[in-house]
Amino acid sequence: MGDRGAGERFGVFGLKCEISDMRFQISDLKCQISRLRGAVRRLLVCWGALFWLLGLTGAGADAQEPPRPVSDVVAVDHPNDVGTAVDVSWTLSPDDKPNDEPIPDPNAVPSLLSGYHILRKQPGEESFVLVGKQSAQAGEFTDRKKVVRGEPYLYQVVAVGPGGTSAGVETAEAVTPVRGLFRTDRGWLAVILLLICGAVVAFIVVAKSGRELFIRKIPGLEAVDEAVGRATEMGRTCLFVPGILDINDIQTVAGITVLSHVASLTAEFGARLEVPTSRSLVMTTARETVAAAYLAEGRPDAYREDDIYYLTDEQFGYVASVTSKMMQEKPAACFYMGSFYAESLILAETGNAVGAIQVAGTAQPSQLPFFVAACDYTLIGEEFFAASAYLSGEPVQLGSLRGQDVGKMLVASLLIVGCVAATWASVTGSASANAVVTFLQNNVLGRGGFLP
Amino acid sequence: MNATNPDQINVILATDCGSTTTKAILIEKIDGHYRQTYRGEAPTTVEQPVADVTAGVINAATEVGELAGRRLVDEQGQLIRPVKPAGEGQPAEGCDIYISTSSAGGGLQMLVTGVVREMTAASAKRAALGAGAIVMDVIASNDRRKPHEQIQRIRELRPDMILMSGGTDGGTVEHVVRIAELIAPAKPQPRFGSGYRMPLIYAGNKEAAGLVREVFDDTVELSVVDNIRPVLERENLGPARDRIHDLFLEHVMAHAPGYDKLIAWTDAPIMPTPGAVGDILQQIAKARGINVVGVDIGGATTDVFSVFDGADGNPVFNRTVSANLGMSYSISNVCAETGMPNVLRWVHFDMDERELRNRVKNKMIRPTTIPQTLEALVFEQAVAREALRLAYIQHREFATTLKGVQQQRTVGDTFSQQKGGQSIVDNMKLDLLVASGGVLSHAPRMEQTAAMLIDAFEPEGVTELAKDSIFMMPHLGVLASVHPQAALEVFERDCLIYLGTCVAAKGRAKAGKNCFRYEISGEPINERGEMACGEIRRFPLSIEETAQIVIEPARGFDVGGGPGKRIEREVRGGEVGLILDARGRPLELPEDRDNCRSRVERWSRDLRLYSE
Repeated sequence: MGDRGAGERFGVFGLKCEISDMRFQISDLKCQISRLRGAVRRLLVCWGALFWLLGLTGAGADAQEPPRPVSDVVAVDHPNDVGTAVDVSWTLSPDDKPNDEPIPDPNAVPSLLSGYHILRKQPGEESFVLVGKQSAQAGEFTDRKKVVRGEPYLYQVVAVGPGGTSAGVETAEAVTPVRGLFRTDRGWLAVILLLICGAVVAFIVVAKSGRELFIRKIPGLEAVDEAVGRATEMGRTCLFVPGILDINDIQTVAGITVLSHVASLTAEFGARLEVPTSRSLVMTTARETVAAAYLAEGRPDAYREDDIYYLTDEQFGYVASVTSKMMQEKPAACFYMGSFYAESLILAETGNAVGAIQVAGTAQPSQLPFFVAACDYTLIGEEFFAASAYLSGEPVQLGSLRGQDVGKMLVASLLIVGCVAATWASVTGSASANAVVTFLQNNVLGRGGFLP
Repeated sequence: MNATNPDQINVILATDCGSTTTKAILIEKIDGHYRQTYRGEAPTTVEQPVADVTAGVINAATEVGELAGRRLVDEQGQLIRPVKPAGEGQPAEGCDIYISTSSAGGGLQMLVTGVVREMTAASAKRAALGAGAIVMDVIASNDRRKPHEQIQRIRELRPDMILMSGGTDGGTVEHVVRIAELIAPAKPQPRFGSGYRMPLIYAGNKEAAGLVREVFDDTVELSVVDNIRPVLERENLGPARDRIHDLFLEHVMAHAPGYDKLIAWTDAPIMPTPGAVGDILQQIAKARGINVVGVDIGGATTDVFSVFDGADGNPVFNRTVSANLGMSYSISNVCAETGMPNVLRWVHFDMDERELRNRVKNKMIRPTTIPQTLEALVFEQAVAREALRLAYIQHREFATTLKGVQQQRTVGDTFSQQKGGQSIVDNMKLDLLVASGGVLSHAPRMEQTAAMLIDAFEPEGVTELAKDSIFMMPHLGVLASVHPQAALEVFERDCLIYLGTCVAAKGRAKAGKNCFRYEISGEPINERGEMACGEIRRFPLSIEETAQIVIEPARGFDVGGGPGKRIEREVRGGEVGLILDARGRPLELPEDRDNCRSRVERWSRDLRLYSE
């Protein structure tokens, strides 16, 4: 009404709106009639089909029979677990027949069985409780529903069909789930672990016995002496940047290990060490580390706490401050040890410009090329992490390092063997090569081995 | 000293005043060429009862004069100079110039200091050694000694002079002054004469010179020269070396008995013997454009000299003194350092270890004895191989590129980052190996000298071998400062006895496999064939002869052209000839004693070391 009033008030425009409104109402009415017609048609089709089906099977309500029961119901503890699952298996009901034909034969008798119900109870309880369902053609089920380790369980399997349910068939004996000591399905993982851990232990024993373990020389770490020496001769500072991440990052931890070595050398040479940090916790750790190193060198008097300071958490704010410091003080030795991102090249280029010997170490693959190009020496990934073992020379660390090498060699040789076998199999179609590939995929490299 | 025109020098008398003997040689211009003609020797008389070094010089010169039929010393016991031409019935007399070196009384002994042991202290050590000194100790900020220990050490030593370095120009002042403050209270006493002031050369940070001067009092004669490392990228050893020579004459020599007279006699400054040897080797390397290694093995010490191209392509001279490696006083130390099994591996017959130990101790307590039996000779030469090998290892570790230098990298260096301070001694680039010292120079056969050099130094590629005939290098070193042409001519013609050329393949040798193929063509020999790994063979090629060789190494072996690449060279003959060595480098001997013995015996037979 309001609209119409508005139409009258607004002349021709109001009249047009009214006509349009009426058109919409007619259209709506047509739709409703159309829907009603569709519903009646579908109802007729359904009834027709029902009568046809009843006539076709010749069966009425009295033709619906329940399926025949299953047999040989067995329940066993699920292997390789902590005792919280039970495996139930049975022989399929005689009415459970597979229908393998792609297009159902309209003349075929429909199956009396639609699936199985698995029920459970504990001895002494009156009734079984449904714990799971399984589809037709499935003869096993793993019960993981609130199974308590050490408690006995009885299982019953019932075949279910359109005609109702069969008689339930129970397990003869109660099954008690227990904890498995070994996961026999992960045997290869055990072998691999034994090999690597065994190698680590063996090398530690060898190292402790006094035999010298060969560790490849890492020029970057050996050059630390040279860099600190340069700073000493030139009367300038050594600058140590422990990355821009916090102390919970493993690269920062590795960097702090190298810092300890650098601090020992600056204490020995009598050079000044400066450590700007971008995290307060790193600053605290660095202070403790450097103080300990100076004490160990017998130079606690030379330790200057103020030279290890916090700048800012902000990435580029930190970099701007450090580079500005570098331009002003022109350190003769710069160490970049930790996690770096975009700032790597900015720092390294500035250090190069002021003529410093620079040693960098990071496990960030994307930053390595920048460090390699702009620094004198770079510790690459693993070398960086091996630094503490290399520097300390402790038997335990050296043995671990060599043991890990054995693990790497194992992985590398598996890769090589796998690649060669797969290539050979695809080129020649060799069955034995294929067998090797399959074996590796299913065992060593599969869930039994490396796959988690 | 007389300033003489080199063109007018025809007769030169040169002496080397050693600790035991004074050796004099006469060099004469014959047919337009300088030749060493006569040699004489007399005991050095620096000690009591004579206590005048010139007496030994006169004795040695007299002997030379008698041999030459030329009077060199007049009735007053003075050298006759200049030459008096032959007159009627009178032979020519005297010499044009007289020059001398000296190592009497233990030579020049120095204490060296620096800030960082591997940087300025190492440079100072190089300067001192290059000047012919024996470095008694190196004091540095990082030598891991406490200050009181350092002071104690300085007090214990009685050096002839001290060389102080440290800091680049504009670099650390604190460290340099701190070291000066260690030396000043220690008041080191000079070895000779308590009346004179200890010479101290300061060659460090020029900005610290004033403060260093303030630290020392009148007990020290301080002289300031240019910094030895003005920047870490460059070494400037010249001024410090020159000052060492000056002070050696002014202070050390002047206080030794008779040296004031000797200094007045000589026409060129007296040089420390090893410094003179270094000078002549540098002259030869420069003149021929080659890399040279020289060795002088003595009873107590072994000196190794080398001239190799440095990182910038300019030749770099290095000298090391292995103070505990020698053939008599230090023989026990050689055996202890290398171990008796290492010595025995060079012996091709069974030897009782007890007997060996007796030999070693006898040699130590009777240093002048020489081997009387074949067994003794073989054993002595086995010890010499080990002494030379150890001395050369020390030399390689010392002769390095400068440390503390900024490196320029590219991404291509990712997996091949070379550390600074790499040895510049590269056996593949070695052209000439010169031997001197009793056990090498006086070996009964030249083949033995050549074998000792090859086994100890393991030259790679094509290397000429030579020995100093009568240890003339010191005389020629000092002559080079007066008359370089004469020095070079005598060095080539009379000083060096060329043993021949060694062609050795670098690579790990697996016994029996082919190492390289050779083709030798020349006037006396035309041979071709194959060398199996583990073989060594000698081809006669006399001193005046040369031959063209073509070597085609097997895969993995390098004879100078690169792994597996053939080379063509002209090689020089010598007393021994041409030696083809396919034993591989590094040279490895079997650990099993029987295998080792049979192999060494075969090598000895092939080179005809001890029997025809």
